[in-house]
This record gives sequence, C-alpha cells and structure tokens, in this order.
Amino acid sequence: MAHDDYKEMLPALALSALDAEDALALHEHLSECNECRRELADWENTAASLALSASPAEPSPHVRTRIMNAVRSDKGARTQEASRVVPFPKNPRAVWTSFGQVGAIAAAVLFLVLIVWIFVLWQQNRALRRDMDSLMSEFRSVQEDARRSQEFLAILSSPGAKVAPLRGNGPGAGANAQLVYDSSGYAMLRANDLPPTPAGKEYQLWFIVGNNPPIPGGTFTPDDIGRAELTDRVPARALNSAVFAVTLEPTGGSRAPTSAVYLRSTL
Amino acid sequence: MSSSLRSELPHHHDVELLKAVAAKNEAALGQLYDRYRLILFSVLMRILNNREEAEDVLQEVFLQVWRRAADFDANRGKPFTWLVTLARSRGIDRLRSLASRERVVTAGANEASDEVSDAATDAIRAEQRGVVNDALAQLPEEQKRPLMLAYFDGLTQTEIAYKLGAPLGTVKTRMRSGMMKLRELLSARGQYFE
Ligand SMILES: [Zn+2]
Repeated sequence: MAHDDYKEMLPALALSALDAEDALALHEHLSECNECRRELADWENTAASLALSASPAEPSPHVRTRIMNAVRSDKGARTQEASRVVPFPKNPRAVWTSFGQVGAIAAAVLFLVLIVWIFVLWQQNRALRRDMDSLMSEFRSVQEDARRSQEFLAILSSPGAKVAPLRGNGPGAGANAQLVYDSSGYAMLRANDLPPTPAGKEYQLWFIVGNNPPIPGGTFTPDDIGRAELTDRVPARALNSAVFAVTLEPTGGSRAPTSAVYLRSTL
Repeated sequence: MSSSLRSELPHHHDVELLKAVAAKNEAALGQLYDRYRLILFSVLMRILNNREEAEDVLQEVFLQVWRRAADFDANRGKPFTWLVTLARSRGIDRLRSLASRERVVTAGANEASDEVSDAATDAIRAEQRGVVNDALAQLPEEQKRPLMLAYFDGLTQTEIAYKLGAPLGTVKTRMRSGMMKLRELLSARGQYFE
C-alpha cells in the first residue's frame, strides 16, 4: 500500500474504527511518515468534537472528592519516601543554659559524643540494611526466576497448552519471544533481545482476532539484557486463532497500538 | 460572540494547567477537573449509559491525567482533544469489559442530565455544542450513523457494516466522507475546540 492509501484511512483511525489488520499496517506506516502523523492529529481534533454532541451531564460532587483524596495520598507516599532524615534537636542551646560554665562545657562535650555516637550507629545500621536489602533482592530475583521457569513449564505441560513463537519485526528485528498459554487462557510471554525502552515507554502485548481491533494485553519492561517476562490472560475469543503482537506504548499501555510492531506471531 | 467567549477560556491556560499537573500540583488538577468534568462525563454517560460506571471511569481518567500529564505534548495536540480522547478510550474499554462480563448495560439513556453549572465554561461549551450539533445535522444520516457508532459504541468498520447491513467498502467511504464534511463544516465556523 502507498502513502495515499494510508492517508485515506486516517479519519477512521481517529475514530479508532479500523479493523485490526488495517490498524496495524497503518501504525507501521505512521512510524515512518511525518505527513500522515500531522494529518492524524488534525483528524483527532475532528473526532474529539463529536464529544460535544453528547447531552451534558453532571457527575456527583463526591467524584471530585474521591479524585482529590486519591491524588493526595499518592503525593503523600512520594514525599514521605523522599524525606527520611534523622531528626536533629531543634534548640541545643536550651540544654545547657541551666548549668554553670563547667557544666555547660561538659554538657557540650557529652552532647557531641552523643551526636557522633548516634551518627556512627546510624551509619552502621544503614550499611547493614543496605547489605541486607541487596542480599534479599538478589534472593528474591533468583526465587522469581525459578518461579517463572516453573510457571512456564507448568503452563506448557498442562493439557491443551499451546506455544506461539513471536518473531522480531521492524525496530525489534533482533528480538524473539514465545507465548505459552493453557486452555483457560492463562498465559506467559518470555522475550529475549528486546531493544531497551525509552523513558515513559513500555512494551505491550496485543491479541488480534480476525478483523477486530487488537485487544490490549499487559505491559512490560525488559531487563538490561533485553529479557522480559509477562503473565497475562488470553481473552476467550483469542484462544483458538489469534495473532499475538508486541508494540512500544506509553507507560501504562494503550487502548489501541500506537507504535510499530516489535514482535508478532503468525496464524 | 465566539471570539470574546473563547478568549475567556484560552487554550494555553489548559496547557499551563496540564504542565502544573505534570509537576504534581493538586490545585491544578482540581481546576482541570472543574473545567472538563461536564464534557468528559457527558461522553462517558453517552457511552456507558450508567451513572455509577461513568463516575467510576471519570475518576479513573483523572487519576490517569494525574499520573500521565507529562505525556501530553502541546506541540502535537490540544488539551481538549487529549482529554476527550482519553476519556472516550477509557469509556469504550469499560463498555467492552462490561460486555465481556456479559453484564447488561442498563437502559434509560441520559438519566443523568442534572443541571449543569460553571457559567463561563458552560457558555462556551454550549456554543461549541451548538456548532457541532448544527454540523452533524447537515450530514446525511448514512454518513452520520457510522461516525456515531464508531465514536460512542466503539464499533469497527466491519462491525458497523454488519450492524447496518451495508458492504464494508460502502461503510469505509461513508465514514470518510462524513469525517471530511464534518471537518469542513467545523472549520467554516472557525471552530477549534479548546
Ligand atoms: Zn503517509
């Protein structure tokens, strides 16, 4: 297909009304065509204007309260993490004003010793905690690896299990992956040699059945050697015959693919 | 009238608000909510037809705005489009997951049309609504229908063709013509939504 054919599909994409195969093909074209990307933005404005045809409705006031509360607790959690500091006495002068000259010096010395001592203890404690944390995280990652391999094998050995190989494509040409899933749809994706994700992006799995729009799956980020695992659930209608694809999406995933296809299976 | 009204709601005020939200300013999120709750909730009500679900999705949308405001790029689009598109997508997602759980969406369309407030915002929106409804009224029904089915019901071209009993090629052509006509009518009215 040529640029002009893709250009004709843009209004339908802005309405997210394209069938899956068309949408995938157009997304690949968009990744390399500035003109179409610009034009899509314009069509998206037109599509968004349809929102104004819905009759006006007012949400209950408690929605605002719930949102602001959720946001506040989210923010609270962040600032708490950022400021774990050992508290320092506010006014050390007050400690020795009641002593005489000697008492004041002794108190000052004692105070300094105490401070140094607390500091040393605090440092030791921190070093110990760091060692502990790194040991624990190492242990957890080994445990996690083992658990995942076991899970992969468990799915693979269950009756009716299927394995779909996904081949690297476009910017993900060097990558490969396997998706294994059982008859209930419980699935695990293992990918290798994926390019690192830029900030604010994650990979996302898609299930494509016939001409329907791709069904969004989970998101994941590869480790520093390009390896990634994802457990997910294959939607019931994708169990018998589906194409699986992986694209690069904004963190949290998208509703419809917005990037080139990095990995895909064949029917 | 439109230019004076529009200047009360400058496009880059929303851009600034989104920047502030990206910098984790709660008050900015509150302001954004006050400016967009009506339009976004209207869309969600139209899609979901259920107040409880629509309110739940509205909350989800604003929490997503809180987390992802940094993704908004003023060079690539308008706040209005970004927010409306986000809400519409989440609404359609919810519609699909409700359908897949085989829950029947309650009928009783637009039971939620309570009195709407916030005079300034609403005056502009009312004007914009008028423009869009006028434009839609000028589209032939056969072009308008596919747009609505795609936008508010989340149907694809194939699904629309099936629903309308029309050939896929015809649906594609009508959808495209409808969108072109709509764009033309809106730009003739100098309407760019902000
Ligand atoms: Zn192009």
